[in-house]
Amino acid sequence: MTPPETTPPRDVAHPETTATGALSKKGLGAGTVGLIGAIVIGISCIAPAYTLTGALGPTVAEVGTHVPAIFLVGFIPMLLVAFGYRELNSRMPDSGTSFTWATRAFGPWVGWMAGWGLIAATIVVLSNLAGIAVDFFYLMLSQIFQNPDIAGLTSNPFINVITCLAFMLGATLISYRDMQTTQKLQYVLVGFQLLVMVLFGIVAFAHVAGGDAFDALPISLDWFNPFAVGSFSAFAAGLSLSIFIFWGWDVTLTMSEETKGSSSTPGKAATATVIIIVVLYLFLSVALINYAGVGDGEFGLGNEDIQGNVFFSLAGPILGPLAILVSIAVLSSSAASLQSTFVSPARTLLAMGHYGALSPKFSKVHPKFFTPGYATIVSSVVASVFYAVMRFISEDVLWDTITTLGMMICFYYGLTAFACVWYFRKQWFSSARNFFFQFFSPLVGGLILGVLFFTTIIESADPDYGSGSNIGGVGLVFILGMIIIVAGIVIMLIQAKLRPDFFRNKTLARGIAGDANEADAALPE
Amino acid sequence: MRYIVGYTDTPAGRDALALGIRIARTTGARLDIVLVLANEERPTITPADPGYERFLRETAERWLAEALDAVPADITAKTHLVYDESFAEGLLEASRILEGGLIIIGAARGGLLGRFTLGSVANTLLHSAVVPVALAPVGSRDLLEAQPTGGTVSRITCAIGTRAGAHQLLDAAIVVAKNAVIPLRLVSLVALDQPEGAEHPEATARAESHAAEVLAYATEHLPKDIDVTTEIASGTRIEDAVSNLEWKPAEIVLVGSSRLATPKHLFLGSTAAKMLRELPVPMVVVPRDSVLTLGDPT
Repeated sequence: MTPPETTPPRDVAHPETTATGALSKKGLGAGTVGLIGAIVIGISCIAPAYTLTGALGPTVAEVGTHVPAIFLVGFIPMLLVAFGYRELNSRMPDSGTSFTWATRAFGPWVGWMAGWGLIAATIVVLSNLAGIAVDFFYLMLSQIFQNPDIAGLTSNPFINVITCLAFMLGATLISYRDMQTTQKLQYVLVGFQLLVMVLFGIVAFAHVAGGDAFDALPISLDWFNPFAVGSFSAFAAGLSLSIFIFWGWDVTLTMSEETKGSSSTPGKAATATVIIIVVLYLFLSVALINYAGVGDGEFGLGNEDIQGNVFFSLAGPILGPLAILVSIAVLSSSAASLQSTFVSPARTLLAMGHYGALSPKFSKVHPKFFTPGYATIVSSVVASVFYAVMRFISEDVLWDTITTLGMMICFYYGLTAFACVWYFRKQWFSSARNFFFQFFSPLVGGLILGVLFFTTIIESADPDYGSGSNIGGVGLVFILGMIIIVAGIVIMLIQAKLRPDFFRNKTLARGIAGDANEADAALPE
Repeated sequence: MRYIVGYTDTPAGRDALALGIRIARTTGARLDIVLVLANEERPTITPADPGYERFLRETAERWLAEALDAVPADITAKTHLVYDESFAEGLLEASRILEGGLIIIGAARGGLLGRFTLGSVANTLLHSAVVPVALAPVGSRDLLEAQPTGGTVSRITCAIGTRAGAHQLLDAAIVVAKNAVIPLRLVSLVALDQPEGAEHPEATARAESHAAEVLAYATEHLPKDIDVTTEIASGTRIEDAVSNLEWKPAEIVLVGSSRLATPKHLFLGSTAAKMLRELPVPMVVVPRDSVLTLGDPT
């Protein structure tokens, strides 16, 4: 037996951690996502099948046949803000995103509210996603067993809420344990989703050509003209909905660090993703309006009873026995989106906990799964409760959540855009590139989103707004928006009392691009 | 000699570290505390987030610093943060590169998920490891902490049968006992081999002759001052056999992985899981045909 080696003195504060060298591969796979991979992730995050079935009806309700125009215009503010997002992300890569950046630019109070807005938006979308998934789950069962009664189960609020909670539980477990699908499965699911959507559109056109469409409305160039929308308020409402349909696209722009190939890969991936998505949206929205019209007949897109989830009602009449493909596509699309969406509130909560803006419990990383476990569970519980309550108080829960979501996206994306403009204020004019990406784009994008946010708030107080859900004559979307924002302010004030350090700029200092504190935000701890 | 401690910031991880400290102190090995993070090269449904990755890395480094802080001054230890597909793969890779002689992991706490995790990590390790794998039972840490003067392994128990690999296992146990100068207990599992159970008189007789045989072999190869004893495990169920034996705290059990598995079954299947649950002491599973690296033969 060899005697124990003499132990060299150890420096506990600086352990000999071999994080580099032969033993360790770099954790973040530099250059592991190729062009196709980046496009697949982008499309998977946008989840076009889910998005379109949720957003098409409410958008038709606002702008009628001008949906294609609004979808095209809706991309502009998203693109402008995404440029600013990319600038901030490359300067301060931090899991807190909007929260961290707005804090650095405008200080703790505004930063806190930006983080709150992001969390609220993602929690609202989680509940909408799960709601859509429940509808299609029962529709799929009814298609499998050829029993239309099963599809009706989804309108029973108790069955609906219980199924939704089960889906949320599944999604939470997947996120909590960080289970990932294989790349192949991801490619297959995204490819399947796109193919089914194309098939859906083609068959709709075929019905029109064959003369047996539900309420064929001849295609007109006017559909593509945004200036033909009747009123500004309808235009604004439609626009805030169409921002939702592109939400998630910005991830392709920020994938710069891990895409392989040349430095132009992320740009190409983002461009290709958005072209695919825009073409698909235009194609399908034109096909469905062409097939079903915007009237309020049984399958008309103007029918309030089907607007919260249009594919649910139209898949059967258009595709007949193949309608089950649409159910599978929307379900898989919702599942992928549920998983990718879960990550963002959890990571923002983690960052807020880490910087002392919330309880430190939120900054706990699960020791085995390496996920923000506590934050994930809290997000899931809040989203589940939100959905359950909404299902009982709202006449049209899917529609109302989508509208509220559009408003919250405008809120926190707008703040993020302004944070970009303000953070880079000393270097706007140092180059043409800076002027465009750090000043002009985010400023214009932020202004558009700001106008949309306030317009939606004001308009939504009207009880007839959107789906017409209201409580005591005040629009439900307005009440929801107010509850979310006021609750944010109240919780922020409580946190300021409990954890004053963050609110005194001690943990994450307000600053400007290039200052000494920039590294603090980029490198927590 | 370097031992790889598969560390997580959990009670199971701390049990593994405690067992590592105990065995290292007995054999004079040094510890390499390894924490495995998920490799970002795996496909994900969400784009990688550099901010979160960095946060994760720093958290993991803090965990490792805390683990190192818990290692007593008489043990040489180093920490490593590695990225790999899974915990098991990361440990195997670290063991290969560092030329580890033993991989030590903690047994998961009760509960469905925990039990499954133990099974998958241990199984992967036992299918691919060329070195022995030690499984630290729940409470290894408390036991070590109760011995402030420095706990060492108090006895080696070698559970031995007649199948292929049994002889190498016996040799390994002899080497460890000789080097560490600790008693060796040989437990014959031959009576358990009988399909009809151990009640059969012929089986008992065979077990007794097997026990005598291995005892003679061990005594021949060990110095006089090392105490060697034999026992015969009996009972129809592995749980009974384990609980019928007397166990000292701070002893370790050496088992050959092939001994535990019927053909076409996983090495660490339900039998070993049952055994581990009953065993109050750490189990070191020596893969069949593995390089015997527990102790330095010189």
